[in-house]
Amino acid sequence: MKIDSPQKLKEWRDRCLKKKAAAKNTIVVCFGPGCLASGCREVYAKFAEILEERKLKDITLKSVKKTGCHGLCEKGPLVVIEPEGIFYTRVKPAHVKDIIENTIINGEVIDKLLYKDPKTDKRIEKYHDIDFYKKQTRIALRNLGHIDPDDIEDYIAAGGYSAVVKVLTSLTPEEVIEEVSISGLRGRGGGGFPAGKKWATCRKVDADTHYVICNGDEGDPGAFMDRSIMEGDPHAVLEGMIICAYAVGARDAYIYVREEYPLAVQHLYKAIEDAMECGLLGENIMGTDFSLDIHVSRGGGAFVCGESSALMKSVAGDVGEPRAKYIHSVVKGLWDQPTVLNNVETFANVPEIINKGGEWFKSIGIETSTGTKAFSLVGKVENTGLIEVPMGITLREIIFDIGGGIKDGHKFKAVQTGGPSGGCLPETYLDESVDFDSLTKAGSMMGSGGMIVMDDRTCMVDVARYFLKFLVDESCGKDVPCREGLYQLHSLAVKVTEGKATEDDLALMEKLSEFIVIGSLCGLGKSGPNPFLSTVRYFRDEYLAHIRDKKCPGGVCRELITYEINDKCTGCLACIKPCPVDAISGEKKKIHVIDQALCTKCGACYAICQFDAIDIK
Amino acid sequence: MIKRLLVTPSLCIGCRTCELACSLTHQENGKPGRSRIYPLEVGKEQFVPVVCLQCDDPACVKSCPVGALALEESTGYIRLSYEKCIKCRACVAACPFGCSLVDEDQDKIVKCDLCEGNPACARFCPTKALVYK
Amino acid sequence: MKIQINGRWYKAFEGEMVLDVLRREKIDVPALCAHEAVEPFGSCRLCMVEITHENWGGWKGNVTSCLYPVEDKLRVTTHTPKINELRKMILNLLLARCPNAPEIQKLAEEYGVTITDFVPRPDADDCILCGLCTRVCAEMGFYAISIVGRGYGREVGTPLNEAPPDCTGCLACVNICPTHCIKYEDVGNVRKIWDREFELVPCKRCGKTIITREFADRLIKDKNLPEDYFDLCDDCKRDDIAKNMSKLVIWQDKKEEVKR
Repeated sequence: MKIDSPQKLKEWRDRCLKKKAAAKNTIVVCFGPGCLASGCREVYAKFAEILEERKLKDITLKSVKKTGCHGLCEKGPLVVIEPEGIFYTRVKPAHVKDIIENTIINGEVIDKLLYKDPKTDKRIEKYHDIDFYKKQTRIALRNLGHIDPDDIEDYIAAGGYSAVVKVLTSLTPEEVIEEVSISGLRGRGGGGFPAGKKWATCRKVDADTHYVICNGDEGDPGAFMDRSIMEGDPHAVLEGMIICAYAVGARDAYIYVREEYPLAVQHLYKAIEDAMECGLLGENIMGTDFSLDIHVSRGGGAFVCGESSALMKSVAGDVGEPRAKYIHSVVKGLWDQPTVLNNVETFANVPEIINKGGEWFKSIGIETSTGTKAFSLVGKVENTGLIEVPMGITLREIIFDIGGGIKDGHKFKAVQTGGPSGGCLPETYLDESVDFDSLTKAGSMMGSGGMIVMDDRTCMVDVARYFLKFLVDESCGKDVPCREGLYQLHSLAVKVTEGKATEDDLALMEKLSEFIVIGSLCGLGKSGPNPFLSTVRYFRDEYLAHIRDKKCPGGVCRELITYEINDKCTGCLACIKPCPVDAISGEKKKIHVIDQALCTKCGACYAICQFDAIDIK
Repeated sequence: MIKRLLVTPSLCIGCRTCELACSLTHQENGKPGRSRIYPLEVGKEQFVPVVCLQCDDPACVKSCPVGALALEESTGYIRLSYEKCIKCRACVAACPFGCSLVDEDQDKIVKCDLCEGNPACARFCPTKALVYK
Repeated sequence: MKIQINGRWYKAFEGEMVLDVLRREKIDVPALCAHEAVEPFGSCRLCMVEITHENWGGWKGNVTSCLYPVEDKLRVTTHTPKINELRKMILNLLLARCPNAPEIQKLAEEYGVTITDFVPRPDADDCILCGLCTRVCAEMGFYAISIVGRGYGREVGTPLNEAPPDCTGCLACVNICPTHCIKYEDVGNVRKIWDREFELVPCKRCGKTIITREFADRLIKDKNLPEDYFDLCDDCKRDDIAKNMSKLVIWQDKKEEVKR
């Protein structure tokens, strides 16, 4: 069915909405990355099996919807009964029969599948009432967990492509840029550059061809916001790109997806195909003069290709190496043509800005960082998952209200934001506002939205070492400060974790870091020393403990810790077998002993002891 | 106006002053450069000074892979840019008159550069076998 | 247009890089990975300079002069304490990478580094990964060698790690390498480089060799030169032209004879 006029789109939307209203219940099975890993496919298969068997009047397999990431990944697989919002966690295939019998048919809620609030210990029936969801404002993630990403009708029913209609029929490109500028939208990929300004500069460049590229390379370890948007709401990305292409004057656009996201590519291809078939993409969109083709470009497994100039080289088929950006990509980018490069989340925000107005977006968040930001909240919190919060919220609210606090009764130590280019912030920053500028001032950065919470069992020196290793592996190696400098910085960090470093080494690391920052060619190098710089700024005592006392306060660095059995040992023999090097000896009912000469600090005995009898010193 | 180095072999007496002048004009760090001009004996007391003829259709320019040799239209002379030169010796092999030379001591390829408009060989030639006009 | 370097104003042309002006005015700034024959790369970072402009409200930046295009009234400072420290650190790192390269040792000493503070690379060669060899090979049109790999393990390599089929033995890479770490061998009429053997063209008259058969063939093909272009060496060609020119000359003594 070809939509060749805005009127036809409206009629289609009305039909889709009618269809939706007719259904009594919709059963949402979350197919986000977390739930896929914990077994939602088997749950869905069970629904298919039982519904086929039962042949119920109101409920068929059509009522069961596979959606993108609903959010609370820690408690997946998630099943949500709409429209009520009954929220079932840790659903197994064995539970499906009861869900259909009790909840769908009889309207009863199954208590044991409900979410339990860690603070009050009470079960909560609907997800709207859970702190994790209550405190969020979902704009970029608006459709995730509510629509089937492969079904364009779901997107249309949710208001999809209405922003394109508004833009193509009633706004000039300059007016579109004006609206985006008013909104104050800053790049969500980490740079935080004002999107409106970027689009305006690109439009002004006098050239035959302009390009729009969507950066779907999301390389930060622990980040899956862009993945979830591409997998769960691909049309939102396409819609944002169409609006940008219209504003900038582009005829072709590219979505660069990292090699490790085949599912995202699959969903994007389907979305593009469907949109083209309906005339919402391709030649003469909706019967207007504006035409746009969107192509999907695959990465090759390189973090450095998330950097804009390296990305453009990769799209062009060359090796992804950054270049000095004294001439910006908006002037000379892909194939030396003016190019706008924006992040997935940035584009996902654009349709809402057009629909609801720049002023509306500006009213959320704070003045210098408007709107919301998606975060992947991971680490040692109760509720890990995908969240979106207004800018200006505090770290404390995110970690303790939304996140539910630190797991297993441990204490908060630090939170890492911004991926390998960011930094770790300690307890004193918990009441800091989460926005672009505050985080940068504190020595970290917003980055693309990874947020890793750490507790007292983390060694900050080890964290620095981990991120430096990542950067050493991913550096393209073109320039000396980054290639040689980060390598040497990492070697020195390893030396600290092994207890072999001196205070001179620490001074050398600080000096080296200063010049890696000044001398590097691209962002990877320039922000490379951040893991070290932020941890040494706030946790210097830990570094000194490793250097002077040869101790690891977090109990992580193997060379510096010992596992010892204390007098709580009941002599149960449970730890003797698991030890891979037979280092533990002991008789029944007698306190066991660990032979330090053999112990490899693997932690197997610690994990298995039921009596808290093993100390890590 | 294009000036040319005019060679009149009949006036050449083989004194080799031009060779010395060229070598010393192009010295670097105290090392004399290889002379770009060669008075060759062709018969009894007959000498021909061989030097770059600044051809109108230069083979050296054509053979240079990086464009280090270029014919300057305004002065009519072929300039070798030492910064661009990668010493591949294509010009040495290409010049039909053997006027692109390898200077082993100074580790570069050289050719007559008309001393930037005031050729030393012409200045020092006692018999006016070499004249720049 | 004019740009200011270390307090003095110099002429600059549209489209040039700051380093082009520095080189033309013979202002000494080290730049290991830059060469006029190839496009700038920005790998060594030694050519970094501090720039500012009267319109920038006091903002100063550090950029690599090899890649920064000139703009009217730009102010450049080539040696500030910070930049000198940066060059020192870079050379310190390069010395760890190539502890045995004399050129790096010499340059490092100029900036006050005699021994590296870091752990030297074991079994180190002299390659500083400036990319000049691969870039000039591309400029020649051969694309025989390329930079392979990523990060610390990056190296100059050949397709599939085998002897490169596109190499012509022209020695451009050997000549351009700042640390002279590409080795070749000329024995008799055979040149050995990059695990390949090339035939050196002997002069048809005296047997002196200048370039390889493969390189000569490529030049004949690419530049439309006659087949016998490289048959004689430069010495023999000079002899020839001398003899040819002598045929056109009316010798003085003959003239005198005639006169007499």
